[in-house]
Amino acid sequence: MSDTSTLTAPTTTPSAAPAAASTSPPPHLPRRRELLFGTAFATAGVVMALATLIGTYVATRDATGAAWLEGNNIPLTQPNMQLLTLGMSVVTMQWAVFSINRDDRPHTFLALGVTILLGAAFVNQTTFLYREVGLAMTQPEGPLFYAVTAGHLAMVAAGIAFILLMAFRALGGQFSSRHPDGISAAAVFWYAACALYGVIWFAVYIQK
Amino acid sequence: MALTETRPEADEAANAVADGPQPPSAIERLIGSGDHLTVGRLYVGFGLFFTALAALGLALSGVDGLSDDGLLGLTPALASSSLVALVVMGVMPTLLGLGIYIVPRQVASPAIAFPRAAAFSLWTWLVAGGIFLTGVALDGGIGGPDPEGSRLASLSMGAMMIALSLGSICVATTVLSHRPLGMGLAKVPFFSWSMLVAAPVWILTFASATAHVALAQIAQFDAAGIAAGFETGIAWFLRVPSIYMIAIPVLGIAADVVAVAAGRRIRSYGVVQGLIAAYAIASFGAWTQTDRALQTFLFAVVAVLAVLPMLALLGGLGDTLRRGRPALSTALLGSLLAPLLVLGAALAGAMQVIDFAGSGTIWDLQPAMITGAQTVFLVGAAACGAIAGLAHWSRRLWGAPAPEGPGRGGVTAVFLGAGLVATIHLLQAFLARGGESGLDAAAFNAIVAVGALLLALGALSGLAMAVGAARIGVDAPDADDEHAMTLEWYPPGPVLAGTELAGLEVVRSPYPLADLRGDTDEEDDR
Repeated sequence: MSDTSTLTAPTTTPSAAPAAASTSPPPHLPRRRELLFGTAFATAGVVMALATLIGTYVATRDATGAAWLEGNNIPLTQPNMQLLTLGMSVVTMQWAVFSINRDDRPHTFLALGVTILLGAAFVNQTTFLYREVGLAMTQPEGPLFYAVTAGHLAMVAAGIAFILLMAFRALGGQFSSRHPDGISAAAVFWYAACALYGVIWFAVYIQK
Repeated sequence: MALTETRPEADEAANAVADGPQPPSAIERLIGSGDHLTVGRLYVGFGLFFTALAALGLALSGVDGLSDDGLLGLTPALASSSLVALVVMGVMPTLLGLGIYIVPRQVASPAIAFPRAAAFSLWTWLVAGGIFLTGVALDGGIGGPDPEGSRLASLSMGAMMIALSLGSICVATTVLSHRPLGMGLAKVPFFSWSMLVAAPVWILTFASATAHVALAQIAQFDAAGIAAGFETGIAWFLRVPSIYMIAIPVLGIAADVVAVAAGRRIRSYGVVQGLIAAYAIASFGAWTQTDRALQTFLFAVVAVLAVLPMLALLGGLGDTLRRGRPALSTALLGSLLAPLLVLGAALAGAMQVIDFAGSGTIWDLQPAMITGAQTVFLVGAAACGAIAGLAHWSRRLWGAPAPEGPGRGGVTAVFLGAGLVATIHLLQAFLARGGESGLDAAAFNAIVAVGALLLALGALSGLAMAVGAARIGVDAPDADDEHAMTLEWYPPGPVLAGTELAGLEVVRSPYPLADLRGDTDEEDDR
């Protein structure tokens, strides 16, 4: 619930505003948790879309049987490293949330920077994996494989952009222990992206 | 004059620039506005218009079906496209627009959360709606033969779903984070509560459907592939239990309308909130995408038992009406007729459940007919509820009371039209079971055409009601409802019946304005 608003009608008229300027209340902080709630709803939608794609992938693969990805080899080294990379990024992201809640700004920026770096490493590993697999869109498995994995890649890329934006806003002094919402919201989105990769890792790469 | 001197007209132009930028034109203000009042009104206006247009499309498809080879030569996809349009271009945007307008007022917020996102959702939806209509006109649409038209319609349908999800995120976040002091979730007005519980269901449902839209685009399906993809991956949102979701806000509207109409607080506020939430949970149907899911016990439970919260809510509303002396207004009429249409959809759902009981099917009902019945029943319920809400909040939306004639006419026409179309689908599903011939195709299509035309007229009447109120509202003095109970009637409206509103600093009950007036049901009931 908002902790900044009351129902009291404003009493200051425009003509009286200059005179009242010296006694006017301090500027309100933005609504508490607004960005957090909005991000949570949006994240739920993205997760649902990707979960639907993963479900469709698994159902189609089960229906196809042994012929699924018969002509392609999916190595496990990259997927495992990707999982490890995102796992580490969860820790650094939580480090950022922990730091901003204690007004430890240097550590906040350091943690956000490392998270972005790990995210970029994930993107790099995915593109490398695509080259290794060599799956063409014209193959029956192609559209579903890329819908799932590239859809998640897009989510990670969006997460990096989100973190970058929030880092700049934090640099501008918009977030602090009193109002850490932007960092927390980016963290919610990031955690969801990491958790989804765990599902993809198992359903697509391990089970093949 | 030397060339180095400035021309006099250039001086004037420079002075004009120095005076500041030109004020934006009305169109620029409209397009650039993030004001929830403007966005909400536009959603409502276009939503009602598209409801009428989609219903007209359904009527035309009925007329076309009067002859075996197509009386008008229209695309065979017009009927299915019209059903989809009724949902994502018609009734849902209308209800969402009402939410974007009213919900911030109900929680005493001067603005909606993420106003630019709300405006973005409106314009994305509107442009995507135009593309959808273009796709249908190109002989595409949902299940149409033209590949480009089908692709356009599919893609724009996904865009509309994303836009509606974005709008509902703004509304739900407003309820969660913009509430005033003292207004816990247990004291949120019913309409705001219903929008809050509807938002997650809408977001998750549309996200799942949009994933299939994306898959069809990635796979570059042809027209037949897109049609098959719609049937297997998207059509589930047009049948129970998913289609129940379009009527979730109607429950909130009905509860708010009945309280004001009766002049009584609704007893057991938390229980009624729980009933609305239970209905919303039951309407989540993304898990019923496969045929196998339709033969599970859980499907039987949610498809039929979703009606229990509705029946219990009707009981609560009836009790409130019994304690007051309500006049039969447009708002009350719509609020009472809408649940009846939801019950009709539940009946259609029950028939489907019975059909799927055990192994195989009992009656072998036609899936298209039974789904059509469920969709149209709930479209009618949502349209009735939307017109009821527009009439109820007309003074807030347009500045003047809604004209009762078009309002009542609209609600009645929607009820009869949707009821007729849905009932004939239900009847045909049953009569044509197991490969029987059923009703004569011409008779069936004629009844569909008449019912859909009534539905279109009802939506147009609702639009006429809104336009009429808006025209009166331009010159009308500020007017308030002396029976108002919730905060949408507070800022920036005039003082309510002599009440000193500025004294209200903390919300202490779900009906703060009734608290201010000192209204208590105990006194009234004596």
